[in-house]
Amino acid sequence: MRRRLAVWHLLGPSLLVVAVAAVGTTTSPTIQFQVRSVLVTAAIVVSLYVFVGNSGVISFGHVSFVAVGAFAAGIASAPAEVKPSTFPKMLPFLANLEIGNVESLLLAALVGAIYAFWVGIPLMRLSGLSAGIATFAVLIITHNVIRNWEAIGPGAKTLALVPPTTGFLQATVGLLIVMAIAYGYQRSRWGRRLRATREDPLAAQASGIEVHRERLIAFTLSGALAGFAGGLFVHLLGSITTEQVFLDLTFVTLAMLVVGGIGSMWGALIGALFIAGLNAFLVELEKGVVLGARELDLPSGTRLLTLGVIMFVVLVTRPEGLTGGRELSWPIRRRRRV
Amino acid sequence: MTDRRRTERPADLLRAVSVTRAFEGVVALRGVDLELRRHEVLGLIGPNGAGKSTLVNVLTGFDAPTEGRVRLGDVDITDWPAYRRGRSGLTRTFQHAHAFGGLSVRENIEVSALGVGATPAEARRRADELMEMLGLADLEEVPASTLPHGEERKLGVARALATDPVFVLLDEPAAGLNEAEVEPFAEVVRSVRDDHDAGVLLIDHNFSFITAVCDRVQVLDEGVTIAIGSPEEIRRHPRVASAYLGRGDG
Ligand SMILES: Nc1ncnc2c1ncn2[C@@H]1O[C@H](COP(=O)(O)OP(=O)(O)O)[C@@H](O)[C@H]1O
Ligand SMILES: [Mg+2]
Repeated sequence: MRRRLAVWHLLGPSLLVVAVAAVGTTTSPTIQFQVRSVLVTAAIVVSLYVFVGNSGVISFGHVSFVAVGAFAAGIASAPAEVKPSTFPKMLPFLANLEIGNVESLLLAALVGAIYAFWVGIPLMRLSGLSAGIATFAVLIITHNVIRNWEAIGPGAKTLALVPPTTGFLQATVGLLIVMAIAYGYQRSRWGRRLRATREDPLAAQASGIEVHRERLIAFTLSGALAGFAGGLFVHLLGSITTEQVFLDLTFVTLAMLVVGGIGSMWGALIGALFIAGLNAFLVELEKGVVLGARELDLPSGTRLLTLGVIMFVVLVTRPEGLTGGRELSWPIRRRRRV
Repeated sequence: MTDRRRTERPADLLRAVSVTRAFEGVVALRGVDLELRRHEVLGLIGPNGAGKSTLVNVLTGFDAPTEGRVRLGDVDITDWPAYRRGRSGLTRTFQHAHAFGGLSVRENIEVSALGVGATPAEARRRADELMEMLGLADLEEVPASTLPHGEERKLGVARALATDPVFVLLDEPAAGLNEAEVEPFAEVVRSVRDDHDAGVLLIDHNFSFITAVCDRVQVLDEGVTIAIGSPEEIRRHPRVASAYLGRGDG
């Protein structure tokens, strides 16, 4: 039973992802783009969950790793013919680089991991509010470095002509990979030790668990997955500015995690699909859609207002999130013991 | 696993050497010495506020002494962090609830074994054994946060034992257990000494329980050791009677 349930905890959510993608392929091109973007956003949220969900420590800095992954992948794979003229101050090594799709995604993961490990060494000593503020500071620093250091970043310009390789296949497979790694980690001895520190850091130490080390492992893994998701993101968009991987994305992805339920991968996925799906739907409504004989055209601002209200209602009525922070339960027979 | 550890870490003695711990306003410990040997149960008794928990905190690295040292065998471990002591076979339970509330009883025990480096399979085996030994088997899947008080105390002990300790410091593990539960629990404490070959420090207010399981008893009062001896000697000790026993549960 335990083993079957363990398989189901990954298989169930994966089936949902495949179903969403499959339905997505049958829709109009604009909706298709929205669905692929929902899948990539879900990958970001699951990567965030790996650290926040298992450690119980909040991170407002995770989009930093998405950003370094996105720009590493984007800059390394944009065509070498155009980069030196568009970005005259860029290091020649970067300007002349042009790597393939798989290398680009792996590079994004690697850069995310290294960066997270490096900032994690001091950061992981903090908990609670100070962790929140310090991770947020990392986000601000990262943003400003990428935006202003033109030797390695695009500056205030748009990084364009990134090969748009994140189609349905890569978005889906990419998300499934992130989920499988997240779930594998959660069930590993490292993930379990980190969960113990989340429940009670003092008692965990009495059992020989080194809080800093376990958090740093999760932070690094989470940074790798966030970087990878950033790679998927830049190859989805094809062109990107530093603003697209900054405050809005931070707020939205954290909100998704909280609404879905911080404590489980299922929660991260459901929150992402629910909010991102709703968001995509409202985006289309704001643009105006024809419903039968009438055209429905919501005033702009409705989208954020509606999202805000829904998050508010969910959190007030279900503070633990839509899933209550639990993994997907077995659909047929549920064993209960008290 | 167990055997390898015993050859690698043959520390036979845990010592507090003239430990003083001054808080703002209160001196909780004043030059206290304590020796805990492998294969013995040492009772630590004294009225509330005597400094018992503070001494456990200092010994296990959850608090630092203002003066004095802590030694494990030949090694001065005063500056070791708590997790390192845990991995070296020195662990504790807490007087107040410190269960991993969101985790099940089984997960609580298994993760304590994982914390000191056991493999998942070994952790599962230890959890099976300890749940059986402490009568927690029926509660395996229950979240620790929902356990009744007595069960929560037992879980704390199970978790400490899951680390396969050489020295285990139990801070009022039997508080809240009823008389019927105390006797099997005394059996557990003896088995930790006899079967696991560990040294046990046992804090409790129930003097008949202490008498039943302890080889030696040390009495603290207002941060000072006022007596050490066999349970029988302690019972007859005049200062103990006035400082502690006379005051009931204090
Ligand atoms: N963190 C602390 N800060 C200030 N005073 C403390 C602290 N911990 C314990 N004390 C004080 O130290 C004394 C001993 O406490 P404690 O070791 O908990 O006693 P016991 O466990 O024997 O009941 C008490 O007077 C208590 O109020
Ligand atoms: Mg106490």
